Amino acid sequence: MTLATTDPIARTPEREAPAHRAAELVATGVCAWFGGRLVLDDVTLSMPRSMVTALIGPSGCGKSTFLRILNRMHELVPGAQLAGSVELDGVDVYSGRLRATDARRQIGMVFQKPNPFPAMSIYDNVLSGLKFSHISVDDRDDLVEMSLTKAGLWNEVKNRLRELGGALSGGQQQRLCIARALAVQPRVLLMDEPCSALDPTSTARIEQTITEIADEVTVVIVTHNMQQAQRVSHLCAFFLASENEPGRIVESGPTDVIFSDPHDPRTLDYVHGRFG
Amino acid sequence: MTTIAPPPTVEAPPGERVPRRIGSPLRPRDFGLADAGVLAAALVSSFALIWVVFYQFTLLSGAFGFFLCWYAAFLGLYWMVTAQAIDRFAATDRVVSVVMVTGAALVLGLVVFIAAWVVVKAVPHLSWSILFRDQKDFIPADPHILHKIGVAHEIVGTFEEVGLAALIGVPVAVITAVFLTEVRGFGTRMVRTVVTAMSGLPAILAGLFIFSVFVENQLSRYAGFLAALALFILILPSVTRTTEEVLRIVPGGLREASLALGSSEFRTVWSVVLPTARSGMITASLLGIAIAVGETAPLLFTSFGSSVMNANPFHGSQGALPLGIYDNVRQAQPVLIELAYVTAFILFALVATLFVLARLFGRPRTTKVGTMARIRSLFERGNHATVPTTLQSVPAAPHDPPFLPDSPRPRP
Repeated sequence: MTLATTDPIARTPEREAPAHRAAELVATGVCAWFGGRLVLDDVTLSMPRSMVTALIGPSGCGKSTFLRILNRMHELVPGAQLAGSVELDGVDVYSGRLRATDARRQIGMVFQKPNPFPAMSIYDNVLSGLKFSHISVDDRDDLVEMSLTKAGLWNEVKNRLRELGGALSGGQQQRLCIARALAVQPRVLLMDEPCSALDPTSTARIEQTITEIADEVTVVIVTHNMQQAQRVSHLCAFFLASENEPGRIVESGPTDVIFSDPHDPRTLDYVHGRFG
Repeated sequence: MTTIAPPPTVEAPPGERVPRRIGSPLRPRDFGLADAGVLAAALVSSFALIWVVFYQFTLLSGAFGFFLCWYAAFLGLYWMVTAQAIDRFAATDRVVSVVMVTGAALVLGLVVFIAAWVVVKAVPHLSWSILFRDQKDFIPADPHILHKIGVAHEIVGTFEEVGLAALIGVPVAVITAVFLTEVRGFGTRMVRTVVTAMSGLPAILAGLFIFSVFVENQLSRYAGFLAALALFILILPSVTRTTEEVLRIVPGGLREASLALGSSEFRTVWSVVLPTARSGMITASLLGIAIAVGETAPLLFTSFGSSVMNANPFHGSQGALPLGIYDNVRQAQPVLIELAYVTAFILFALVATLFVLARLFGRPRTTKVGTMARIRSLFERGNHATVPTTLQSVPAAPHDPPFLPDSPRPRP
């Protein structure tokens, strides 16, 4: 079976070829509030096409909030508000031109805790996003194989696709979640500490996956693991919140610069583990 | 006998690892032959003591008082003897254990007694014909009449009334539970308060309400579907609350995952939340139905009861199993009282079947999906792969329902 060349969704004419589907995501002046408390202040960040952008910083500095603003998951929290704009290839995801469900389909998300749907088989888990959105696929088997292969899970589960997703190990479940997110062919993939609940082997496997999929999907990853940020990301943004202050971006730029020669001394301290 | 013994020393040959047993120095739960002897001796001597005091010295009488005094004396004596033989710590432990065991035995005994009573009274009169005949051929003086009458009309009535109630009640309950847990819009608190208040509603008031709305206003005469409406009022709060609990333990991460895939909130509930909670919801529904099956009071002035077959739930009064028991056991005809016990037995079997079904559906799911795999797994006992799924099976109710047809409904 050849991979990626037989892309069942790409056959529909209005869709572009997968290599060009990755989109640029630009956040401008993003602020966020929870119940009237400002938690994120004026964050502007560009996440270029087909690049891996890592968001680093200590806990509680607004990284995850920022990530959830990018695909409109933030607005599901009761009492949450936000300001600013998020543009996906020039289209504001918060404007009337995109519905929240469309925005989320184009900007997929992988969560900290693996969360496959326990009532569905591995096969159905991969196809769930398409089923929920009523998108018909020419060749389901192809799409399932392709998505699982991209997520690096195909060889482990190809003989047990009809088993429940909950029967997999934690690392496999997380890769299943990545395959599920990739199956709807998103243009951006957000990952919220995808490896924090996993062992080093699974972590390495997922990092490899991130490197492999970066060509066709823009990746934004929140991580507390400095080595991971160094290994997988092209760009890096350092978030920091001082006491009783909202989170802000201290510095952003190419990962090697952030880790070797940052402008701000706080960045240097953080990436070398001197605080946080 | 509790022994305070040094841990046995095992001399391991060099180079070989032998598992060592570690004996704990104080184990008041050890119970050997000698301890059983002490227990028996305490029982016998306290019996003798109380017999002398109760019947010879004080001229008291009555079995109940005697047993109470015997039990108290036994506990005291047992404590003293064990405290002498072992120590006070072990004595207290033993006495508390005895109190626990007798308490449990008392409750279990009651349950078994009620069940056995129904069975003993019913079994001599059981016959298949009872399931297929109604009471239209009843002649008061005939001693062999039990072979010519039956409860078919009541079985049909119960199934139709409870079935209709479940048909309306379960979807409404599920929608209400979804509103309470998933939508959480305006009025959630009010709805929850109303549901809670409804679960405390006396059963007879549900029947009275339907009676006053339909029968008094001459909208309808006595009919099975009026009983179904009254039963619907009764099972709605129970099924709603249980389903709500079941939906609440569906991990929030699954909802987020579904929404993040670009599905609408309706799709999320329909395709992720409800299937995940399915087995728990089936259990909740079956327990609600089990409640409805045993209800008598709401039927009294809605379906009214009947001694002949009426299969149409929308016209004319209709019988039901609990109503049949109520009516027949008050008659001066021994045959009808026998029939009432047989009815009780059938009702008992029906409720027990529902509880067993509820337990089966409430089990953890196997790794394979698919209806056939599921049905097969029901027959392959002990062959359930215990795989840690993200959502384990859902306990249907916060307490285990006792196997009683007429157990009181939980009223929080």
